[in-house]
Amino acid sequence: MSEIEIIPVPTRILTDKDDIVDIMEKYAKDKIGPNDVISVAESVVAITQGQIVRPEELELCFLARVLCRFIPEAGSLASPYGMQALMDVEGKWRVFFAFIVGMIAKVFGKSGVFYKLGGEQTALIDDVTGTMPPFDKHIVYGPDKPFEVVKQLKERLGCFGAVIADVNDLKRSRIVGVTEGTDGEKIAHLLIDNPFGNASQKTPIVIIKNFSQYQAKS
Amino acid sequence: MGILYGLIGLVILIIIVCWAYIVNKGNAHFELKVAERTPFELVEIQEDSITLNCQVAMVNKGEQLGTIMDCYTRHLLPYEQFDGVQVFSKVELETARREDDYFEALIIERNRRVNLVVTVKLTARKNSDIKSTLAQMVDMPIDIVYQQVTRADWHIEKARIEMKASEVASVANVTLAD
Repeated sequence: MSEIEIIPVPTRILTDKDDIVDIMEKYAKDKIGPNDVISVAESVVAITQGQIVRPEELELCFLARVLCRFIPEAGSLASPYGMQALMDVEGKWRVFFAFIVGMIAKVFGKSGVFYKLGGEQTALIDDVTGTMPPFDKHIVYGPDKPFEVVKQLKERLGCFGAVIADVNDLKRSRIVGVTEGTDGEKIAHLLIDNPFGNASQKTPIVIIKNFSQYQAKS
Repeated sequence: MGILYGLIGLVILIIIVCWAYIVNKGNAHFELKVAERTPFELVEIQEDSITLNCQVAMVNKGEQLGTIMDCYTRHLLPYEQFDGVQVFSKVELETARREDDYFEALIIERNRRVNLVVTVKLTARKNSDIKSTLAQMVDMPIDIVYQQVTRADWHIEKARIEMKASEVASVANVTLAD
């Protein structure tokens, strides 16, 4: 039986001028088979979709300046710009409401409510330094329509499945979009050691060889 | 009426608590330790040019982490003062030297310091002899400019180091003209 294998695929720097599906086809088509899963880094998908903004382009509101102060310092919403970027897409009052409810829920021992109520971008936004140059000076949103993107990737590459993953060196691995029939939780576990590498290693694609057999077996 | 006063009092109390929390948590506060910079050292000397560098520490003295978005040098040597050399200067992170002069945005945690390397290249403009040119060299200020993003609005600050003519002369092994 074929063993599972994780293969990082280097690319050139991708920008908002690129189409993510075309690029995946260019770099991965000859390396991927019908039993394999293609995994793409969340931030790279977002960048190719133009889901980025520079802090200098944002106009801060009072609420963003205040609310960011209550987010732990290492969080992407801890700067007023990360918070403003969120408010711009999810709505200022929605974020404010989520924050108030989240704070009350926390008092009663329930965490994560803010991230659930604040809209899907609440947990997906990466503040500056979150990705490779030249996008290290940008706030990067989560990808738009991730489930549609993975569906297109699977169709174009003829592989077993496709995922968009948010993985970092701090052992955080989360699936943002996954094709039907592919076990996202198992893939998240396989990617926990961040095979995408650090920001400057330019390996936004990871192919998981023989995943269909692995999924069927376990 | 009593309820209204109670509500107003509650709102004021919440504002005071939030304000006290924010003040207590503080912010990042960056400082370039220009007074503690290392002396300029020789990197390379050629017939027509000399390259020197020194190190300057950037410290986050605040209570929160912060981000240096960008950092660059601005050397100040107008030809009215001395037109013998063409100056190139750049600043890099000591632990992440780059050939492309790009300064990658960097998070500095509280009470942490990072070392910046300031590199200066002087090329003789009027002849191909850097050593004879440097005999006329003058003190040259170099501003280190940095853009920061913290819990407050982004802004740009700068601090100044001075490359002394005597330092350059000593490194190049030349004697300054009177």
